[in-house]
Amino acid sequence: MTAATASVTAPRPGGGPGTRSSERSAGTAPRTRSALVEQLLEHRPSVLVAALGTTFGVALLSVSHIVEQLIASDPAVAASGTVSTMLDLVASVFVGLALYVGAIVTANTFTTVVAGRTPTIALMRLLGSSARDQRRSVAREGLLVGVAGALIGIVVGTLLVVVAVTVLVARGTLPDLDYAYVSVGGLVPAVAVVLTTVAAAWIGSRRVLQVTPLQATGVVQEEPVGSRPRRVLRTVFAALLVVGGGLLLLAGVVIGLADAIGVLIAFVGGVLSFSGVVVGAHTVMPAMLAGVGRLFGGGQVARLAAENAVRQPERSTRATIGIVIGVTLVTTMSVALETLRTFIGRLSEDPVYAAELDTMFTTTLLIMAGLVGFSAVIAAVGMVNDMSLSVLQRRRELGLLRAVGSTVGQIRGMILLEAAQMAVTAIVVGVVLGTVYGWAGAQALLGSANQGLLIAPTLPLPLLVGLALTAAVLAGVAALVPARRATSVTPVEALAAR
Amino acid sequence: MTHPAAHPTTTTPISRGGAAPVARVENVTKSFGLGDGRVDALRDVSLDLRAGQFTAVMGPSGSGKSTLMHITAGLDQATSGRVLLGDTDITRLDDTQLTLLRRRRIGFVFQAFNLVPTLDVSANIELPFRLDGRRATADERAWIGWLVGTLGLDSRLTHRPHQLSGGQQQRVAIARALATRPDLIFADEPTGNLDSKAGRDVLEVLRTASRDHGQSIAMVTHDPVAASYADRVVFLADGRIVHEVGASTPAEISQVMLDLERAA
Repeated sequence: MTAATASVTAPRPGGGPGTRSSERSAGTAPRTRSALVEQLLEHRPSVLVAALGTTFGVALLSVSHIVEQLIASDPAVAASGTVSTMLDLVASVFVGLALYVGAIVTANTFTTVVAGRTPTIALMRLLGSSARDQRRSVAREGLLVGVAGALIGIVVGTLLVVVAVTVLVARGTLPDLDYAYVSVGGLVPAVAVVLTTVAAAWIGSRRVLQVTPLQATGVVQEEPVGSRPRRVLRTVFAALLVVGGGLLLLAGVVIGLADAIGVLIAFVGGVLSFSGVVVGAHTVMPAMLAGVGRLFGGGQVARLAAENAVRQPERSTRATIGIVIGVTLVTTMSVALETLRTFIGRLSEDPVYAAELDTMFTTTLLIMAGLVGFSAVIAAVGMVNDMSLSVLQRRRELGLLRAVGSTVGQIRGMILLEAAQMAVTAIVVGVVLGTVYGWAGAQALLGSANQGLLIAPTLPLPLLVGLALTAAVLAGVAALVPARRATSVTPVEALAAR
Repeated sequence: MTHPAAHPTTTTPISRGGAAPVARVENVTKSFGLGDGRVDALRDVSLDLRAGQFTAVMGPSGSGKSTLMHITAGLDQATSGRVLLGDTDITRLDDTQLTLLRRRRIGFVFQAFNLVPTLDVSANIELPFRLDGRRATADERAWIGWLVGTLGLDSRLTHRPHQLSGGQQQRVAIARALATRPDLIFADEPTGNLDSKAGRDVLEVLRTASRDHGQSIAMVTHDPVAASYADRVVFLADGRIVHEVGASTPAEISQVMLDLERAA
């Protein structure tokens, strides 16, 4: 009988730590953190993405503002108005790109968060909350995330520029002027981040509408795998863009054989067709992922990894498309500039001039790559986050795999291969697209100068080495935390988890 | 081989198949937490699972029956005591050895989430072989083919789990568990998520596997109807084995449960 008494008074197994922590804080304050902080913690990756975007935008516009002040302080330079407009325009393009990639990442994160919350949402629906109310509350969280990220970004971005300018002034690189760091225009990126984050949260919360109250009653069915919503309109639109843009690109190259004006036509064609690729990525990326997955071999681990990478086609697409965008743009610029450099280098025989040319091209390329690369960093954050969340939501399945005889090493290998598959696919697709665009641009520009002949594209070796390293690092980082998480739970715990 | 305090309330079971135990639980205790928060899920439990027998472990929620199964199957660690599978003391194995043991010598059928959703039926059944880095041999393929036919899964081999009914999913899980011809199959409430017709089918399959193919099976359940398919029913309450009967009707098993409840 003592046993029965003990089991009545004792807390349930696993209740131990919780009990202790509530005892500890009982004397001081109520245990719960404020709901606000709680929500922000759950959306940590999205806050990070919003903060990164804002930091980049605020810093870039602030730098361009400083450059304008420098130019204005120099009476020798006239027409500073034109220069500053140009600078702002270029900066806006890069910031816009970062925000676009950030929005894709955030939409994906919200989709995944909502998927994880299905039981709670179902319970709320069961208790009488409407789907629209539920969705609106998710969108409100998006607003919160956007504002928090924007505030962090304003502070960090401004601080970075202040520190950089102070250092440069101290070293005598910059004149000691009374710089104004903050301008009204410089805060535009922050506002844009808030807006895009809310929009992304709204798009990402679409899934709330599919949650039925019945899902709260515990009849949990295995989620269909590989199903994807049909988006006929979107696919048709994407196909039109790709085909139309591709034809324009081709026309640009052909016209370029006679006249350098072809490069402008090719540029428009490139922008249109690449937009088509991004819009229609959901039809292509899953197949690409599966194809790369098959290259990893037919072993069970590789096979599971390959299936996992495409189990949520929409999500995998969005997790990788940001990286595709970044890599494509960097490759386009590299290939175009490198082809241009090779061509011009062949024309001139003066070694001093060639060296100057080299420096100029390299500097241009590094700056451009850095600016575009920032979007790729945001995209990488998204991929890492996607991996973490998807592993977290697969705990039961991982427990089952452990129970039927997968070793810890096999689970780790599976997650690493999954990450590698995404990283490699995104980067290879980016390199292929970038090479086509870069070559087309260079060809259209130089075709007429080359007596209407074709020019072979030059792929810079450092770029390829750099991208291969990036793929390895990205896959490693994206797999690190999820793999540890996946193997730290015992099969029993994982199987018990709902 | 002697077991002094093994079965205090044992009634002699109908011993069919080999008398040698396929698995043996010796004085296993499992505790969660420390100090005041300590809960004993299992208290000095000893149990022999006999080769070729279909054993049901019954008990109310919280009686420790799932914990007993997890420890016997090498999914969880005992606080004290030991577990033998054949001649192997599995309480001494490290994680990798336990994993290989589960892969090659033990089969599992859980209440739900038995199948890997990304793999089709045939890949799910072959999973233990593939995890071993090999394909099933011709002999094993013939056995799997027979299982698939018997379980009525012929036309489902290329289906994904979400395209199957609950009963079909459980039959795939049973096919997977039987495919490696393991020493012992553990079934944890295998009918818990099924309607009664599908549940009876699944239990019939388990009974046939044991009766016609000498498969040793240990099934955890709280359902007297499910337990009535077994050759032997062991009752667990408050972390102890409190009673044991041979093959019995659902009514008899329910009566034992009620008596135990009353005595508590």
